[in-house]
Amino acid sequence: MGAVSVRGLTHRYTTRSGSITVLDDLALEVGDGEFLALVGASGSGKTTLLALLGGLERPQTGTVRVLGEELDSLSGDGLARFRSRTVGFVFQHFGLLDSLTAGENVELACTLGGRPAAARRRRARELLERLGVGDRAGHRPVELSGGERQRVAIARALANEPRLVLADEPTGNLDRGSSLTVADVLRRLPDEHACTVVLVTHDLELAARADRRLLLDNGRLAPAISSGPAAPVGTGTGA
Amino acid sequence: MSWRDAAVLAARSVRRRPGRTGLTILAVALASALLTALLTISGTAETRVLDELAKGGPLAGIRVAAAEPDPGQVDRDDARPGRDKLLDDVALNRMRRLPLVRTVVPVVSARLFVTEPQRRSDGHPLRPFLARAVGVDLRRAPSLPVSILTGRLPGANSTDEVAVTPGWLERLHLTRAQAQRVVGDEVQVAAGRLFDEGDGQEVRGRWVRLRVVGVVAQEAGDGELLLPIGQVRAARRWTLAGAGQSRRLGVDPSPYNGAFVVAEGIDNVSRVRAQITAIGYSTSAPENLIASVRRYLRVVEIVLTAIGAIALVIAAIGITNALLAAVRERKREIGVLKAIGARDRDVLRVFLLEAGVVGLAGGILGTAVGWLIARIVGQTVNRYLVGEGLAGVRLVLPLPVIAGGIIGSALLALVAGTVPAWRAARLPAREAVGS
Repeated sequence: MGAVSVRGLTHRYTTRSGSITVLDDLALEVGDGEFLALVGASGSGKTTLLALLGGLERPQTGTVRVLGEELDSLSGDGLARFRSRTVGFVFQHFGLLDSLTAGENVELACTLGGRPAAARRRRARELLERLGVGDRAGHRPVELSGGERQRVAIARALANEPRLVLADEPTGNLDRGSSLTVADVLRRLPDEHACTVVLVTHDLELAARADRRLLLDNGRLAPAISSGPAAPVGTGTGA
Repeated sequence: MSWRDAAVLAARSVRRRPGRTGLTILAVALASALLTALLTISGTAETRVLDELAKGGPLAGIRVAAAEPDPGQVDRDDARPGRDKLLDDVALNRMRRLPLVRTVVPVVSARLFVTEPQRRSDGHPLRPFLARAVGVDLRRAPSLPVSILTGRLPGANSTDEVAVTPGWLERLHLTRAQAQRVVGDEVQVAAGRLFDEGDGQEVRGRWVRLRVVGVVAQEAGDGELLLPIGQVRAARRWTLAGAGQSRRLGVDPSPYNGAFVVAEGIDNVSRVRAQITAIGYSTSAPENLIASVRRYLRVVEIVLTAIGAIALVIAAIGITNALLAAVRERKREIGVLKAIGARDRDVLRVFLLEAGVVGLAGGILGTAVGWLIARIVGQTVNRYLVGEGLAGVRLVLPLPVIAGGIIGSALLALVAGTVPAWRAARLPAREAVGS
């Protein structure tokens, strides 16, 4: 059984000027432990697909199954539990709470994941150390560089040992050096944390590090042309 | 997420926006201060007015005279007593056993010869005169219609202390504002006794030297001196042990000249008066006057409370506005919270607690400032009253006002924060990645 299974997924947004179909009868299979990159033009629906995979949004038509769980069947609280324990999100804007320190941001995710109070700090410290920002645990996000913030965000995403990590343009706000560091971290996640990674990016160099690259175009997926070192290119199936 | 976790998050969030939070807390504090100050001042004014009506005693106080009741006067506030009647311990004990009676304080009086060893302000010695001294159990002073203008009351068992009344000041041509001048004065008083001397009788006195320790605001009955009951009883005994008609020396045959009965609340004054009348004694109490004044004061209090409440509502609107703005600004943050597993009710908790923290802080600050304002007003009023020779006010911050100011502000903030918090809770998790 794969980590992600999407079938017949159609999603539309209604605007004043009419309805826009961003995902059109889309199908997708992601293997367990796979590192998948989704590329595509702006507005092609990459982020929408990521939101649907992570339970941030409910599918209008079709099914999204993650690790055997059909997301549409989950209640509001069920989806929240799914987001806290099964999925980890990494955002382009980092999404760290400015009022909390780096360590507290990670601890907050542990709290929402139901970890006991004593274990939260230990887990946060461990993750931050592993990502090379252990010495920044007591700093607020505004006191960190972009690369450090994103590594803290990745630590937060990993707080509850998720089986699926969803990253939305994780290097979009980073300089080249930081991008490479973050790219390395993401690349190692499947091996080091036994999770599946789905990455949305414009950065073809980052996408090249993925096991498989898919192009989202006109609401459908197609295999993307590799721009980096050879990696097994899988098949995306537009239905 | 537990309430504790939510509280920590809310507190951090509040601290992150010091400007807006400070202004919102200030709005709540101003409203709370206004309400606290108004209620404290109105409560104190009410106490002062009623205190004046009750002559410093408890509102439920009833004066009992050593006289029969006049049937035509029984319901009047200032009932005229009927014929003299002995008031003894048996009668007082019957009153003590009456239902709804809290306490009975007997009053004894005697006429004393008074000389003042010191000279008056114009340099002339004070001519000896006869003055009535009133004796009460001063341990029960709070139950008596007595308030202190300056100095203090004599010790309950003292044998050399006396308090004087405004009548004494008038005798010395002093105004109430000059009351302090007599404190520390020494006076000599004597109870008279008739002795048979040859063909006639002679009055001899048992002289005692007393020091004036205070001035009370009210006349002690028709007396100018207020003494511990033991001293006045001793004076009576001395006089009564003499020959002939002791009454000539101003001593009534009744063991007690009156009593002050305190009922269990002002609403029971009528019933207690009726029971004492049934025992056969004349009573008076300003119950009708107090009742009507209280009605007027209640109206004033309602108006002041309404003004304070309007201020609080304005503050609540401020809280709602500030929180709505915060929700608008923090859409992404709320989305991120949900993306990492926060449930709707977790977000609701955080925002409600933020509102509560603001309300609580505003309430504490406002109540403290309100109390300060009330104290300043109280001091100003006191300066005026003392300047006019009247008893000052004692400012009391009632517990319900403190509780109302702090808890009320927090609750109001919670109510005001409900809509913004609900909106925040209903924001879709999708906000985390933009809509």
